[in-house]
Amino acid sequence: MRIVKLHKSNLMSFLEEISQESELWAPVKKYEDKHIFKNIEDFDQIDLDYTRTILPPKKLLFPPSFRMYEATPKKFHADFSHISKKTLFGVHPCDIHGLLIMEQFFKQSYEDPYFSEARKNLTIIGHSCWPDEHCLCRSTQTHIVEEGYDLFFTDLDKNYLVWIGSSHGDDLIQLKPDIFDEDVTEKDIQQFMRWREERDKAFQSEIQFEAMPDLMELKLGDSVWEELGEACLACGSCTSVCPTCNCYNVRDNPVLGKEASDITRCWDACTLENYSAVAGGENFREKKSDRLKLWYTHKLQAFISKYGKPACVGCGRCVATCPVDINIKTVAQSLQGEKVDAFWRRLNQEVTQ
Amino acid sequence: MKKDKVKIGIYELTGCAGDALLILDCEKELIDIFSAADIQSFAMAKSDNIDGPLDIALVEGSVTTEREIEEIKDIRQRAKIVVAIGLCATVGGIQGRYKPHSVWEADYKSVYGETEMTHTKPIQSQPIDAYIEVDYYLPGCPIGKDQFLNFFTRMLGGNPPEKYPQPVCVSCKHNENDCLLTKGEFCLGPLTADGCGAICINHNLPCVGCWGPIEGANYTSEYHLLKEKGFDPEFIKKKLANFSGTKIGKLIESIEKERP
Ligand code: SF4
Ligand code: SF4
Ligand code: SF4
Ligand code: SF4
Repeated sequence: MRIVKLHKSNLMSFLEEISQESELWAPVKKYEDKHIFKNIEDFDQIDLDYTRTILPPKKLLFPPSFRMYEATPKKFHADFSHISKKTLFGVHPCDIHGLLIMEQFFKQSYEDPYFSEARKNLTIIGHSCWPDEHCLCRSTQTHIVEEGYDLFFTDLDKNYLVWIGSSHGDDLIQLKPDIFDEDVTEKDIQQFMRWREERDKAFQSEIQFEAMPDLMELKLGDSVWEELGEACLACGSCTSVCPTCNCYNVRDNPVLGKEASDITRCWDACTLENYSAVAGGENFREKKSDRLKLWYTHKLQAFISKYGKPACVGCGRCVATCPVDINIKTVAQSLQGEKVDAFWRRLNQEVTQ
Repeated sequence: MKKDKVKIGIYELTGCAGDALLILDCEKELIDIFSAADIQSFAMAKSDNIDGPLDIALVEGSVTTEREIEEIKDIRQRAKIVVAIGLCATVGGIQGRYKPHSVWEADYKSVYGETEMTHTKPIQSQPIDAYIEVDYYLPGCPIGKDQFLNFFTRMLGGNPPEKYPQPVCVSCKHNENDCLLTKGEFCLGPLTADGCGAICINHNLPCVGCWGPIEGANYTSEYHLLKEKGFDPEFIKKKLANFSGTKIGKLIESIEKERP
């Protein structure tokens, strides 16, 4: 690992250089207070002053819907045409951790060729951030990164400190070596340490993730799950926006006038009613409470037992997204026996009155 | 025309004819449609219609007159498979908006008075499955082109159509829209079948529910959520009922009392 320095005035020329070689994706303001990762056509669109995008960067490796192959009764042609060389600039640490978890999943026992091919073609350039009231990444220990990026930019006023995380990252530096300064001074280091300390203090939310596997086990029969199930709209939004949710469905779309079918892969969500429906009309998780239990068992218990860390990277997207306030924060608070300010709790009080 | 082709009839009861028009609007594919199947009856497209035995009947519109009851029963009797297409046939449509029968009678009187109907007797509008058994449902207001072509091709191959069990929120999030509901707007996306690709929210307009309700839609939670956001209870119930059809309407009446 090597760290170099870049004066901010040189950032755009560096990105321009990169965009000669691959598509450049970066955060762009879509709404007054919401950003998305977008393919950049106009460099002025890039807006690094963001906290979280609506969808996490998983959409670049695993789009919401794409054609996997064209099938006829006799053969099939794999379709990788949705994959192109991309550079994603401006990714925050939680999302880098999210991508690492995705990678772990898609490579665990059977390597998914679509994911691997897309990952091979993706360059990841991280960027430092500042937490808002929903960020939980310090609790999940995903507020800093040690791997999973090619370059990582830390914003220090006039300069960036640039971590080089891979040999490809080093190649990128070599595209414009004169704008990078090898000489990181003691002053820079002091400034970085101060920045780190202040950022650590800026977190407003905290969850005791270490206690979660036990709490989940102890409270699997708790009435809170019914309460959550009654409020849940089964809209699937939490699952779509979560950077570590990876479930998908495969659909057969026959083409009129042809013998062939388009086989598409699209995101699925365990919070949706049809997710657990099987042949014969059975559904083994028909109740919303059971589906939410599954979601939270995955995030807070099962993954921890298997990999030693939660399948939550603390990005706060579920907190910002769920219309009825069912999210990692309110659910953990409730499991911890704390007071919860959420619509799902108020609904329960109103309906049982 | 070859004998072994799948015999299809396309019928319109009471509705805006939008679904039949949508089929006709598949201009690029029309030749494929007409050459892949034997279209026996399609009043909007041709005049030489035959009312004989069918493999598949596609029925648009709700049942709103006594004559339509006879018509739908006749179609059922002639067709091996009956598919309800569009909101009106599947749940009742706007004209099949839930109302207690006495309220409907009073409304009817206030519009038509004592005028005698000579053609056929009007009745309170109902989706077609109020009178016959329906094999498949294709929701939409109107149905979509891709949806129809996918359905049509599957049926020709002897495969059942896809279901539409997911709410509009799924496409809405995939399109990275800002959630209007969390912003305090009246959005019915969580209750509504996704087939339109969240087209309204893509244009920053809330979903009014025109594709009809999904199975298991959580009306109670959405109702209380909208109430908490400051909407008037009567207004919410009216808007919820607009596209929800006859069956779900009862639930809306009792929403405040009932637990989900
Ligand atoms: S559970 Fe919520 S906070 Fe955790 S990673 Fe998923 S969306 Fe982000
Ligand atoms: S928990 Fe919230 S976001 Fe997730 S499906 Fe339920 S209502 Fe939708
Ligand atoms: S805007 Fe409407 S359809 Fe979209 S996610 Fe929000 S509630 Fe669902
Ligand atoms: S009202 Fe809802 S279901 Fe109808 S087109 Fe608009 S978003 Fe789709």
